[in-house]
Parts: sequence; structure tokens; C-alpha cells
Amino acid sequence: MNRKVFLGMSGGVDSSVSAILLKEQGYDVTGVYMKNWSKDLPGMKCPWAEDLADAKRVAVQLDLDFEVWDFEQDYKKRVVDYMLAEFKKGRTPNPDVMCNERIKFKLFYEQAMARGADYIATGHYARTDGKHLLRAKDENKDQTYFLYRMSNAATTHTLFPVGNLLKPEVKALAARHGLDIATKKESMGVCFVGEVGMKDFLHEYLDAQSGEIREIETDKTLGYHDGAIFYTIGQRHGLYLGGGLPYYVVQKDLAQNIVYVSRNLNHGALWADCLQLESLHLRDDLTLEKLAQVSQLQVRLRHRAPLVNCELDGLSGGRLATVSDFQNSPATTGAGRSEQAPHDDGRARTGSEKSDMITMLHFSQSIKRPASGQSAVLYSGDICLGGGIIAE
Amino acid sequence: MIYLDHAAATPVSAKVLAAMMPYFTEQFFNPSAPYLPAKHVRESYESAKNDLAHAIGAKGVDLIVTAGATESINLAFTVLNQFPGSKCLTLATEHNAVLEAAKSHTCALVAVDKNGIIQLDDLRQKLSDDVALISVSLANNELGTIQPLAEIAEIIRQIRQDRLQRGIMLPVYLHSDASQALNLIDINVARLGVDLLTLNAAKCGGPKGVGALYVAHGVKLQPITVGGGQERGLRSGTENVPGVIGFAQAATETKAHLSSHRKQYQKMADIIRQELESIKTPVQDQDPALHNSIIAQNDKKVNRKSQFIRFLGNPKHQLASFISVSFSGIDAERLIYRLEMRGVLVSTGAACAANKGIKSHVLAAIGLSDAEIAGSLRISLGSTNTLENVHEAAKIIREEVEHEYQRMERK
Repeated sequence: MNRKVFLGMSGGVDSSVSAILLKEQGYDVTGVYMKNWSKDLPGMKCPWAEDLADAKRVAVQLDLDFEVWDFEQDYKKRVVDYMLAEFKKGRTPNPDVMCNERIKFKLFYEQAMARGADYIATGHYARTDGKHLLRAKDENKDQTYFLYRMSNAATTHTLFPVGNLLKPEVKALAARHGLDIATKKESMGVCFVGEVGMKDFLHEYLDAQSGEIREIETDKTLGYHDGAIFYTIGQRHGLYLGGGLPYYVVQKDLAQNIVYVSRNLNHGALWADCLQLESLHLRDDLTLEKLAQVSQLQVRLRHRAPLVNCELDGLSGGRLATVSDFQNSPATTGAGRSEQAPHDDGRARTGSEKSDMITMLHFSQSIKRPASGQSAVLYSGDICLGGGIIAE
Repeated sequence: MIYLDHAAATPVSAKVLAAMMPYFTEQFFNPSAPYLPAKHVRESYESAKNDLAHAIGAKGVDLIVTAGATESINLAFTVLNQFPGSKCLTLATEHNAVLEAAKSHTCALVAVDKNGIIQLDDLRQKLSDDVALISVSLANNELGTIQPLAEIAEIIRQIRQDRLQRGIMLPVYLHSDASQALNLIDINVARLGVDLLTLNAAKCGGPKGVGALYVAHGVKLQPITVGGGQERGLRSGTENVPGVIGFAQAATETKAHLSSHRKQYQKMADIIRQELESIKTPVQDQDPALHNSIIAQNDKKVNRKSQFIRFLGNPKHQLASFISVSFSGIDAERLIYRLEMRGVLVSTGAACAANKGIKSHVLAAIGLSDAEIAGSLRISLGSTNTLENVHEAAKIIREEVEHEYQRMERK
């Protein structure tokens, strides 16, 4: 019997080429389109119908079985609601990370195994050695940033067929097999938001009030915004403050609904030499103690951003930092911070998640501060060690 | 590539394209402009409208040119606006343009039989004194079913007389969507007895986005688009001169070859039907579960083959170019991708991704089971087909249907 694989097919070139490769390798492949979110909002249509058609076309052309698995309700509950809750807190969540952790490498994985799968597969640019999650061969395309929260069990049963290829090689393979999607525009970001964008989507779900945009140095009102929650620290577009040097969002006062901006690119809020991480997810059998022994720890703070050297706080001194250490420290007295439980927002926890822990990441040089709610993902060489959610 | 989806779109013929071309470039003038070259364009436009109207036994002035059949249908339904409290009748098998236009008024559905043909008894019953419009397509866009319009018109004539006798002044109008019919039926508005008739250029070798509404004398409509007052004030906007020139050319051409085309399509359709009848379907004993489900769906126990393969509609009342068929148990969407891979392009009424997962309301209305709808194929012949390529396509369809049945049996 051939080994049985359920392959998540999105209609994109990467999962389509994955199907070709798996079939060539002799697997018994079933293509699965995961239907996550299909609500048509006014003026915003998910391209899901076209994507589904593209996925199915490729599966049929390869004479594979093809199924549609409906995760709509789970996705709404586990990804969209989480995302909305995070935005309400003034953060900038990463729904793709949550989708991978909670849908693709959880529900999809579990259902596939229950159906007798030997493996699941996706078109992500990543690799495994059967145990560890490894960065892709194509450094420019590496997607482990979005995958760091996938469980160890899923990792040992997942194939990433394109992880050992460069993107141009994948495209060439698609073209060689006459796949129409070889030239398809790459989908970026979250499907359900479609082309209209996150902001319009959020407007549908969150109550937003207009408020003032003030210059932080002078407290002068420069203009007005349509809801402080839509703005991210560091953002410089979409402020509509007129010409001249750009303004950057440096602070949000959600209670007063004021967005503070500055022209000073060196403003402290835009830079950081340390970051607080919460909901830490350590991969494999790592513990913080073991993490301490990792030489040359590196972190990725945005998808496709270069790896940066870093150190974990407290480890060098042999003591691990915990929530209580930080709750009343100066670092956490930012706007609204003290009112929030720093860790628990109802996230699903995996076995290795240290969600009661705040961990500090230190950098030798100041880095451009990533938005809170985004992920910081840790690496040692090619191995993805895990990561956490960036707090304020 | 062998194209078998002429009910969806037709290629613009070389002659039609050639006729249109000058009106994009040298003869680009606005027909309403005051100088002589513009007047010549207006004359060409009016003359083309006349040619188009003659193809259905009408005059140019009876036609309102629209941007496609959907707009023409929407405009037709405005006839109800002047009769508040009135209602319309239509069929569940009509095109969505009709069903959606009807929804904005009070509307009732007249029953159809298993071939999609209107039940005239039910029509008589539902023709209450508040009905002001009946909309029945001349030929259905999924089944090719031709409706007995003249008989409907006769019923309406009697109703009108009866109403007048009883002092009821509300008129009853008959609208027909003839989008699919122009290239296969000799349309004559007087003979059909219609008051409103929708035409579509794109289905008979003309350009897309051009349609027309025939409006009989005395039928009052309300414009949807207002502005400069073109098309008798019923459809404002600068005239689509090349579009109408192309439409008229296509209509004239198709009219000239009507009977020879019909015979030709008949022959081609026979070839396809014959080939499909020879398809090897699963042996029922091998798959009792499937067999039972199929038996459950079809009350009648006929021979084994017809439990899987069913031709839809009655060829006697069907456009010669249509073969609508259902392969029960098969996923027609898969079939379409398999056929596409082999260069054969057909359509389906199945709920597939391409139509956002909505299954055909037409096939549901004629009582098909979900499995039958899921396995439905619409083949529509047209100008790109020859006996040779139809032969070839039929063979490929047979092979791919058998491939899918075999895959099903392996499961």
C-alpha cells in the first residue's frame, strides 16, 4: 500500500506543485481544500470560489481524490474572533500564525490522521527532519515564521514538498506541467479579508469612534482618525496629515481614543533594544533552561525579515523572568498596560506553551519595534525553536 | 480545442467583426451630433436597428437597445410599475435575470413538467385578475426546452376578452426571454403573440453587452437609466453604434441559415447522444450502496443504464443545439476539468466552485435529485462545431465519463 497523504490545496502554485511532487514520489494523495471563511461582506468577496476551482482543477488533472473540508465555524471561533479581540486591545495580531496552529496543523491534521493518513502535507516553504521544524531552502520564502506554533506531533507527520526548492524552481515545475496557476498572482495575507483590506473588514465587526491625531511632542491636534484600534505603532501611511515629512504613529491611547504621532524617526516608541514575549511556544522538548544553552540564538520579527541575534533575559543570570517580575516594572507602565492581564486572552495552549511567562528578548543593537501582537520566532541555525507573541 | 458551450457565449463571426470595425474608428461620431458625418452614423444605426427588428418581424422603432439581455429583462418588468397591486407569473426554470426582476414585484410561479415545459392548466389556474405580466422564455438556457408561446398567447387573448367582458381594465402582457433562441427558431413577434421580447447579441454570433427589448405598441415602460433621452427615452446613453451594427449583422446571418443550421445541429446532437448511450456505467451488483441510492432517487426501474445516464428535456421540444444530460453518481465538476484537459469545453448545472457552489435551480425545478444535478452536463452546439469535431468530442466525453465511473467503482 502506498503511504496515504492528505494535502492541503489552496489553489496556489505552491500546494499545486506539492501535489505533483507527492504523486511523483508515489504517495496516495488526497487533495483537500480547507474552507475557512466564506462570508461575503458587502463590497468584499473572498476569492475562495476561484481558489477552490483552481485547487480542484489541479487535483483532477493529476487524477487525485479531492475533498472540501469545512472549517468555517472553527476558523471564525479560533482565528477571526481571536484576531478581533486582539485588535480591540489595540494590538496587531497575526491570523496566519493562529490559522496554522489551530486549523491547519490541528483540525486538518487530526481529521486526516483519523482518516488513516500517514502524513499531511502543505505547500508551505519549510522543512522538517522528521522531528524539528527547519527553515526552507529558499530563505526569501521561508514560512516557518507562520508555523512556529504547530505541534510537535503534527511536525513529525507533516511533509513540506516544496521546502527543498526555490520559488523559481516551483514556478518552473508548475509551468512544465502545464498548470494554469503557474502564473497566478500570489495571495498575500488572510483570505477572508480579500482585496478590500483589513481595515474595511474590521469596520464591519468593531465599533470605532473618530478621534484626534495629536503630535506627541506638542500635544497639538493635527487631524482626526476613524478609530484608534486601526492604527499600528510605526505606521506612517493612512494618516492623511498632509504633505511634508511623514508622521509616524508612536502611541495609542485607547481609553481616550487618541492616536499620537511624531515626525521624529528616532522617537523611542519606534525602536527597541528589548521586547517582551508572551504565550511562549517552545518546540520539540525545549525548556527555557535548554534554550539558555543555545549558542547564537536568533529571532525573526517579521515574515521575510532577516534573522537578528538576540539573548533571552534572565538566562545568563540563571534565573528565569516571570510575570510577577515585570508586572510592576517600568517597562510595563505604558498606556493601558497595567489594566490588562499580560498573558491570558483565552488562547488555546499547547503542551509546551509557557503562557504564564513573560520572556524578555534583548538585542545588541536597537531594532525597529515590531507591532505588539505579532510574533517573534526563535532559531538556532536552521532549526525553528519556537517563539512568542510580542507584548507592548 | 472543441467548444461545446455556445449557450454561454459565441464567437463573433468574421463578417460581424468586419461590419463593426469602421464604427470604432472612422465612423466614431456621436449619432446625436449636429454635423453631417454624425448624421450618417445615425442613419447606419437606425438602419441596423431596422435589420435587427426585421429578423423578428418587427420595426426598428419597436426595439429598445440595451446593454445585454439582463437589462432588457429588467426593463420589461417595469411594465408592472404602472399597475400597483398587480402581479406577475413566471417559471421556476427561468434565468436568474427574470427571477430576480420578478422578485421586486409580487410574483407567482407556474408549474413545469419534467422536461421543463410550462403546465398550461396551471397557468390558467394562476391567471387571476391581478396578473399583469407573464414572463416565459422562448427557450430555456440550461435545457434548451422550447415553450409553447403561441399557446400561452392564445390563453392570454382569451383572458383579455374575459376581463373586458367583466369590465376589468387591467391588461395582461406576455414577455419572453428569447436570448437562446434567435439562431435556431424563426422568431416572429406577431406569430408568437408576445408584447415584450428580449434578445441577446452574444448568443448568436454578436458582441457581448448588447441586447434589445421588443416593445409592442401601447405597452408602457419606465426607464431604468435616465439622461439624454435616447431609445425613446427608455434607455438613455449614447448609442452603442458598433454593437448594434454587429448585432444586426449577426441576426441577419443567423436568420439566413436557420434551417440548415438546425439540421446540422440535429445530426451532431444525434452523434453525441449515440456515443453517450454506449457509455459503460458501473455494474449495479458491484456496488449495492450506490445502486440503492440511485434506485431510491429514481422511482422508475428502467434498464440499468438509464439509472445512471439520463437525457434531460424532450428533443421534440428542445433547441436542436442542446444536449442536457446527467451522469448520476459522477462529479460533473471533475468531469469538466478532465474534459478541459483534453481540449473539450462544456458546462454543468452542478453546484461547482465556478458558480460559487450554487446548484442549478433549473434542474432542481424539473425534479432532478442532488446526485443527478451534481452529475449534469450541458452541451450546446454552435458555429464552431463540425461533424468531425463533434465526433471527436463525443468520444472524449465517453472516455472521461467512463474514467470517472471506474474511479468511483474503485472506491
